[in-house]
Amino acid sequence: MTRILTRAALVLLAVLIAAYVLLPILVIFPMSVSENGFMAFPPEGFTWDWYRSLSTDPTWFASAGQSLTVALASAALSVVLGTLAALALVRGRFPFRRLALLAMLSPLIVPYVIVGLAVYIAFLKVGLTETPLGFVLVHTCLGVPYVMINVSAGLVSVDRRLEMASMNLGAGPVSTFMRVTLPAILPNVLAGALFAFITSWDEVVVAIFLSGPGMTTLPVKMWSGIRVEIDPTLAAVSSLLLLVLIGTFLLTGLARGIQRLLARRSSVNLDHSGV
Amino acid sequence: MSKKVLGGVAAASMVLSLAACGGGGAAAEDTLTVVMWGGGAQKAHVDSYVTPWAEETGVTIRQDSPTDYAKISAQVDSGKVSWGLVEVEPNYGKSACDDGKLEKLPQRVLDAAEKADIDPAQMNDCAIPILQYTFSIAYNTDTFGDAHPTTWAEFFDTEQFPGKRGFWKYVTGGAFEAALLADGVAPEDLYPLDLDRAFRKLETIKDDIVWYDTGDQQVQLVSSGEAPLIQAWNGRISQAAADGESVANEYGQNLVSYDQIVVPKGYANADLAFDWMVWFLENTQAQADDVVASGYGPASPQAVELVPADIRDDIAGSPAVDDKSASVIDYDYWAENYDEVTQRFNTWITE
Amino acid sequence: MTATLTPTEAAPSGPTEGRRDGALRGRLTFDRWGLLALPLLVFLLVVFIAPLAFLIASSVTDPTLGLDNYRKIFTESVYLRVLVNTFTVALTVTAVTLALAYPYAYLMTIATPRWRALLTLIILVPFWTSILVRSFALVLLLRDTGVLNSIAMSAGAIDEPVPLLRTMTGVVFGMVQIALPFAVLPMYATMRTIDRRLLDAAQGMGDRPSGAFWRVFVPLSMPGVAAGLILTFIQALGYYITPALLGGPKNTMIGELIVQQVSTVLQFGFAAALAVILLGTTFVLLAITSKFMNLERMLMGRS
Repeated sequence: MTRILTRAALVLLAVLIAAYVLLPILVIFPMSVSENGFMAFPPEGFTWDWYRSLSTDPTWFASAGQSLTVALASAALSVVLGTLAALALVRGRFPFRRLALLAMLSPLIVPYVIVGLAVYIAFLKVGLTETPLGFVLVHTCLGVPYVMINVSAGLVSVDRRLEMASMNLGAGPVSTFMRVTLPAILPNVLAGALFAFITSWDEVVVAIFLSGPGMTTLPVKMWSGIRVEIDPTLAAVSSLLLLVLIGTFLLTGLARGIQRLLARRSSVNLDHSGV
Repeated sequence: MSKKVLGGVAAASMVLSLAACGGGGAAAEDTLTVVMWGGGAQKAHVDSYVTPWAEETGVTIRQDSPTDYAKISAQVDSGKVSWGLVEVEPNYGKSACDDGKLEKLPQRVLDAAEKADIDPAQMNDCAIPILQYTFSIAYNTDTFGDAHPTTWAEFFDTEQFPGKRGFWKYVTGGAFEAALLADGVAPEDLYPLDLDRAFRKLETIKDDIVWYDTGDQQVQLVSSGEAPLIQAWNGRISQAAADGESVANEYGQNLVSYDQIVVPKGYANADLAFDWMVWFLENTQAQADDVVASGYGPASPQAVELVPADIRDDIAGSPAVDDKSASVIDYDYWAENYDEVTQRFNTWITE
Repeated sequence: MTATLTPTEAAPSGPTEGRRDGALRGRLTFDRWGLLALPLLVFLLVVFIAPLAFLIASSVTDPTLGLDNYRKIFTESVYLRVLVNTFTVALTVTAVTLALAYPYAYLMTIATPRWRALLTLIILVPFWTSILVRSFALVLLLRDTGVLNSIAMSAGAIDEPVPLLRTMTGVVFGMVQIALPFAVLPMYATMRTIDRRLLDAAQGMGDRPSGAFWRVFVPLSMPGVAAGLILTFIQALGYYITPALLGGPKNTMIGELIVQQVSTVLQFGFAAALAVILLGTTFVLLAITSKFMNLERMLMGRS
């Protein structure tokens, strides 16, 4: 009986959280088709004009492409650097451990505006502002702690005896890592990669410093007019981003794919180690 | 560890410097980078008076936004200046010029400015004005259909006109000037500002003040009726009114303000930037076109008569608006006192 | 994390026992696992820490050599007040986020795969919408004439609009939403790995279900909870777009102040000093926390 009540309370809470999280999104789409140019709510009339003006402006697509490139590259780099560092932190021994840990977590703690200014001054000297490489380098710094924290949390619960067994059976350290350790921590690696991707994709403060006519990521493009005005084009862009997301999930069955990966028991048993 | 780390740093630095040769770089010949505040206003300005010049002269225009003084500073200090023409607020124009961060105007620009009847008070050694606007009373026409405040004293009168008031959370946003005028200071005695008196006056309605950060919030606040009275930029309000929002400008005791355009020190194509300035100052028709497109008043008074009659009385710099004006914002005062007042304002506002 | 932390890692870890040819040599040795930290350390040193060090140095050199910037922070009440504001808001956000995220993550672990996919999708939504547009949409929802107040008033629940925007409530409302995914995902990732047979075993040995939950499940989920909370708290300290849009002047957070110092007053040195204070306070706070919950073990999970 208590069990049923508890579950009911949990479900109710989840419904409320869902409403809370989705509410702003539900407001955004109506605003993107409102005839009112000042994004007032409730929307008035109906028009696709804001989408039309978007489609005639190639700079939006260029920005989206640049954002995607930067986010993918920095997420990939974060995963490699972050996973290696997590292995070192959880299992290894190295000098100045606390200092090193502090250094690795510092991108989480330093306000982005300070990062932006500091990196802008440094990159200006070596010509890295307004370049994709410059963005990738900084966004990797910002994303890598998420990978490290998530992967570390996963590594703690990995059963080291399985690795020993794999080594005893003749597998090398790399092969053991790929076949035993990695599958066990995959949900954590994916979560970390996702965090790193989003951190880059949505990052606006540092990007404002690094961007210029040659390189403008999507958030900077959205932000650039905001001091003066927000017109429904912004709502249209957001709606499209959401649409792309939903489409991806539906079409590729990515949701199920991720779900399967997340659902895999991370206490890997030997049946799975041959995957 | 140290050897390995040093080796790694050296290797990584090499990668960085190699990358440096590929990317970035100075301004190519015949390009000009124009930086303004962004959004629809920037599009209007560029379409009206930058693109036509570029087509005439064959110069490639690159755009960036928004203006960021920290970026100008960093570019000038490092000697890698990529911003050519930058729209700035006049208090920055003054202090940056005094600090040597901006290129000085050549004689041909000064001559063109004189010919265009530019108000010398709106210029300095490094800057010409590019547009004007007013800090005036914006009100919601549904809330105040019959009677609305026409002076700052009435704007501060919460009994006669109940409801929230909006001010820009920015010391040069006109709130101090409005408070002093409301408290009975004569317009000609406004500067230097009696800050103690201004803060006392603001304190009387502190609980009724909504502080906004962006031009967009002005329209949101006043049109939704959340703050039916706002000290606003007139252009934003007249555009919203044209779009059918229930808002209007009242120009009684308006405070005239303007933006300037400058060239950061060390910009490679500074000569091109000054060529543009001369063209801009001479081309009053382009300025008038921008008035129609952006809602901002023109830099040159000669452009006012080229503006279509139906909107002429609604722009800064027109006789109708100038007659009601209390004062022009004194940006020399603000260049001097900006930091100190900002500090005091921050303290007061968070109390 | 800082030198003041309790030295808890006396026990050697990792598969290789370090050679002990002397204390110093031993401390300076990398084992094979430890070497894996080098790529990241070098990367961060070059791209992140070096530029930052130059900027931080400017807090004592710009505009003049000395501690003037710091003196200013501690003599002007506004900066202390803003610092207190910042931590109050961040703590509140963290507490509310924990209260919502923990049961949500737990529900994800007991849900059927299809429902779990939906729950994951929903919690990821704030990730995918631009923070600017999301905050702006919240303004439309929360203001006096906004959606929530209009609905409540037309339903007769309230007579006067309840001020939500430009209040602490508004800031927390907006920030928790952004923090939720960052808290839920690590919690879920850890809860997932908890062997539910342990709960059955506890009940088998006579514990009530709630007892088994509190005594077995909750402690085992702590690494994920700690990771989620630290992420939430530290991120909340640095937010400035959300408090700027949803908070009032009295909710000013230090991020806003730093932006202002950098972009309008152009006092890089003073901004750097503010940043140093924020960083320092954060580290002290983490150090204190770590006394009670062995932070390193939870965050970085040394086995």
